[in-house]
Amino acid sequence: MKIGVYICECGPNIAEKVDIDEVIKAVKPLDNVAVVERFKLLCSQDGKQFLADQIKKHELTHLVVAACSPREHQQTFMDVCEQEGLNPYLFQLANIREQCAWITDDKKEATKKAIRLTKAAVARVQYHTPLEKQQIESNPDVLVIGGGIAGIQASLQLAGPERTIHLVEKTSSLGGLSQYYEKTFPDMKPCASFIKGLIETVKNNPHINVYTNTEIEEILGFFGNFEITVKQTTTPEATAAFEVGAVVVATGATPFNPEHISKYGYQKIENVITALDFEQMNLSGKITLKNGKPPKSVAIIHCVGREEKGYCSQICCMYSIKFIRYLQKKVPSTKITNFYTDLCIPGKSQQHFYEQSLGNHVDFIRMSDLQITKQSDKIQITYSNEKDASKKLSVDMVILSPVLEPTQGLSSIIESTRISQGEKGFLTEEHEKIAPVSTSTEGVFIAGCSHGPKSIEETMSQAEAVTGHILTSLIPGQKIEPEVKVSHISESFCIGCKTCLNVCCYGAITFDDLKKVSVVNEVICRGCGNCVAACPSGAITLKHFTHNQVYHEVKEAVQ
Amino acid sequence: MKKSIRETIKDFLMKAMEKGVFDAVLIPMKVPAGDSYVYVLIKDKALVKDADPLPPVMSVQGGKAVSSVTRLGKGNLKIAAVMRPCEVRATNELEKNEQVNPENITLISIDCPGVLPLHDFTSNPEEGLAVFEQAEKKHDDTKMRPVCQICDNSSLIAGDLHIGTLGAAKDSVFLIAHSHKGQEVLQTLQLSSKGSLASWKKQVQEKVENKKKQRSMTHKQLKKQIGGLENLIDTFSRCLNCHNCMRACPVCFCRLCYFDSEKVKNVREDYMQQAQEKGTLRFPPDTTLFHIGRMTHMSVSCVSCGACEDACPVSLPVAQVFSMIADETQGLFEYLAGRNREEPLPMKTFKEDELHEMEDAHD
Repeated sequence: MKIGVYICECGPNIAEKVDIDEVIKAVKPLDNVAVVERFKLLCSQDGKQFLADQIKKHELTHLVVAACSPREHQQTFMDVCEQEGLNPYLFQLANIREQCAWITDDKKEATKKAIRLTKAAVARVQYHTPLEKQQIESNPDVLVIGGGIAGIQASLQLAGPERTIHLVEKTSSLGGLSQYYEKTFPDMKPCASFIKGLIETVKNNPHINVYTNTEIEEILGFFGNFEITVKQTTTPEATAAFEVGAVVVATGATPFNPEHISKYGYQKIENVITALDFEQMNLSGKITLKNGKPPKSVAIIHCVGREEKGYCSQICCMYSIKFIRYLQKKVPSTKITNFYTDLCIPGKSQQHFYEQSLGNHVDFIRMSDLQITKQSDKIQITYSNEKDASKKLSVDMVILSPVLEPTQGLSSIIESTRISQGEKGFLTEEHEKIAPVSTSTEGVFIAGCSHGPKSIEETMSQAEAVTGHILTSLIPGQKIEPEVKVSHISESFCIGCKTCLNVCCYGAITFDDLKKVSVVNEVICRGCGNCVAACPSGAITLKHFTHNQVYHEVKEAVQ
Repeated sequence: MKKSIRETIKDFLMKAMEKGVFDAVLIPMKVPAGDSYVYVLIKDKALVKDADPLPPVMSVQGGKAVSSVTRLGKGNLKIAAVMRPCEVRATNELEKNEQVNPENITLISIDCPGVLPLHDFTSNPEEGLAVFEQAEKKHDDTKMRPVCQICDNSSLIAGDLHIGTLGAAKDSVFLIAHSHKGQEVLQTLQLSSKGSLASWKKQVQEKVENKKKQRSMTHKQLKKQIGGLENLIDTFSRCLNCHNCMRACPVCFCRLCYFDSEKVKNVREDYMQQAQEKGTLRFPPDTTLFHIGRMTHMSVSCVSCGACEDACPVSLPVAQVFSMIADETQGLFEYLAGRNREEPLPMKTFKEDELHEMEDAHD
C-alpha cells in the first residue's frame, strides 16, 4: 500500500492559518504513507497535473488530499484519480479549510486540528475498497397524472420527438379547475378561452398521448425505468401499459364543500352558491338569481372552510375580489359586500387590484363570525365583529368562497410511488425550500395544487421547475448512473427479520421468500444507511461507510 | 399433577390426531438415556403415550424448537405444539421477528409449576424426578429455577388453547380456547365448555398476586446487589465469555451475534492503550459490555424463562438480572413480551410522541 498525502495551501486561505510544515512532519512517519507534499492550489490545472504526475511517479495505491470541503472539490480530485487509472474511491479528502483554517485565528489550535483530520483521513483510506459506477438504460418518456393547468403546461414543455408524454386524466375532459374561470386575477385576462386553446394544442401535439376517463392502476419500477398500468374508469377491464422514466403527479385540488356547515345555508337556502357555481354561472354569460332576475345586492363570504381545514388557501381573497369585477361588469348597479376575517393579498400587483375594486357600491366588512338565514325572499346575514356584537345585512345572493382541498383517491399512486401525504392531505415535497417539486422518491415530481393550494402563476412556475428537473436528468440516449455508495446485505448473516424493510423509505429492499433473506436493489438504494443502523445483527454494510472505515477514522480523530 | 392428568392430556392429543385435527404433535419426551427431556415431533400418534407434556426440566426452550421446525418451507402440516406459557410467549415474539411461520401451528399451553434447574436434574435424574413430583403435589416451587419461583405469568394464556390444572376437579382439566383456532379444535372434538372457569380463575388470581409480591421483594434485593457499575461488574466477573446464555436464549435469533463479530475485536495497539489507561485489562475484554449489550438488543422480548441461567457454566444469575431489567424496559412501552401475536414490537415501532420522560432536561 502506498498512500500519497497532499496538503493544499489554497493560496493564503490555509497557508496563513495552518502551519503546513508541522502537518507534514506529523503525517510523514505514519505507516503506509509513501509521500507527503504541499502545493499552492491543487484544484488548478497545475495542481491537478501535479497530482497526476505524483500518482504515476510514486505508483500510489491510495490518495489523500487535505484541502477544502468535499462539496467543493471531492469530484475534482476523484476525476484526477480516475484519469490516472486509480479507482476514484481509493481517495479521501480531509477538510482543513471550512472545518479548520476558516473557523479560528489561533494558528496553534488550527494546526493541531489539521493534523488530526489528516491523520484520520489516512487511517480511513486504508480501509477503502474500489467501487465501480453502474450505468443503466433510461426511458426519457414521462407520465403526467392530471390534465389541469400544471399537467398541461408540463406536457407541452416536455413533449418532443425524442420524448413522449402520457397525460392521464380521470375525468372526461382536460382543463382542471381553471377551465371554469372566465378571467384570472390580477390581470383579468381571458382564462377559459385560453385553456381551451391550450387543450387543442395538447391534442394536436403528436408527442402527447392523452388518456381521459383514465386512472392509474399501478406504478412499478424506479427512476428511468417505471412500468405504468392505467385503467379506464368507464370500463375498468380496459387497461393500457407503457414505460416511462419519470412521473409528474399534478392531480390538483377541489373546492371545499360547505354543505354540512349549517351557518352558511348552502343547499338549504336559495341563491346561496359557491365560488365554483358562480364561476360557471359567470362563464355562461349571465349572472341571475334562481328566479331569472339579476341580483341587486350580493354578499361574498371569504374563508369558508378555513377553520375546519386549518390552513389558508392563498387564492380565495383574490378570487373574491375578482368576483367584484365580474359583478361590476355584468350587473353594474349591484351593491357588493365582502365579508372577511383576514385579507390575504400578497404580491406585487395584488394590493393595487384590491384597491381598484373598491368603489361606491363596494363594501369590505371585517367580521369574526356570521350566520346566514332565509328572510322571506331575501337572505339575511347576521354578523359580529369588534365594533358590533350583532349586525344584520339583507342581500339577494350570497357567494361562498371556500378553501381548496387536495384531490381524493390518490392511494394507489401514493402506495406505488411511496411518496408521502402530509396531514392536510396534500403531497409532501422533498424539501420545503431546496427541493420543492421533487419527492422522496427519485423521478417522481409534484406540481400545482397537488402540492398545496396555490394560484395559477405559482402552478405554472412549479410545472416549469418540474420540466427543468426532467430535461436535465432524463436525457434521451444518455444512461443514468445510480448511487455507488449503496447498502449490501450479507446473505449468510441476514436472519430475515425484515426490520430493514420497515425502515427503508425508498422501497429499495425486497424479501427473498425462498432464501428468507432481505435483498437490496442497488439501483434504487440511495445509500442513506438507515437499514445499516436498524439491522439487529449487523448483517448490512454501507459501501464506503463500513464499520472499519468509520471506526478507524473516528478513532484517529479523537486520539 | 397426578399421572392421570398427564394421561388426560395425551388422550386429548391422540384423539385430535385420530380425527385429523393435527397431523403431528411437538411435545417433550424423556430421552432414552433417561437424563433429560427434549422436544420431539411425533407423527405416529401411538407414540404420544411416551411423551410428557410437563417435564421437570426445560432443556431447549420451546420457542426455539418451534422456530427450528417452522422457519423455512411451507406450512401445510398441522402441528400442535405443547409447551409452557413462557415458551408460547417466546414463540409469539419469534413470529414477530419472522423466525416462526405460524401457519397451521396450534399453540397449547399448560399451567406451569416451574422447572428444575437443568443441572440439578441431570446430575441425578431419579432424585430429580422425585423432587419434581413432590413439588407439584405440594405446590412448592422452592427447588425450581430462581426466575420460576417469582414468575407471575405461569398461567398466562398467549396461545390457541390452554390446559388449566389449578382449581380443577380430581383427574380433570380445564380446556380453555383463546383463539378462533382453539375454538375450532374444541368444536371438532365435540368438547364444549361445560361449567364455569371460576375456580381456575380464582386460584390463578391468588397465585399471581402472591407471585407479584414475591417478585417485588426479590427485585428490591437484587437491585441492591447489582446496583452501580462496580456491583454489576462484580456480579458478572466470573463470566467466561462463552456466550452460552445467548445461544440458549429463545429470542436471541441472530445468525451472527454482534458480540461474536469482528466489530468488537480490536488491534493490539488499542488494547495496549486501554491497558495503559485502566492499569489492567482482562482478556477477552468487554465481559460486562456483552451482557449490557445483549440486554439492549433483546430485553424488550425477554420472556423470563431462565434458559440462559441454566446454560451458564459458572452459574451466573443471568436470568434473574435479565428478567428484572426486562420488567423495566418492557414497562417503558407498557409491553409484555409475547402476550399476544398482534402487538407490534416496541423496538420496531416509531411513535413521534413517546418517552419524553427519558429526554434530557434542557430548559
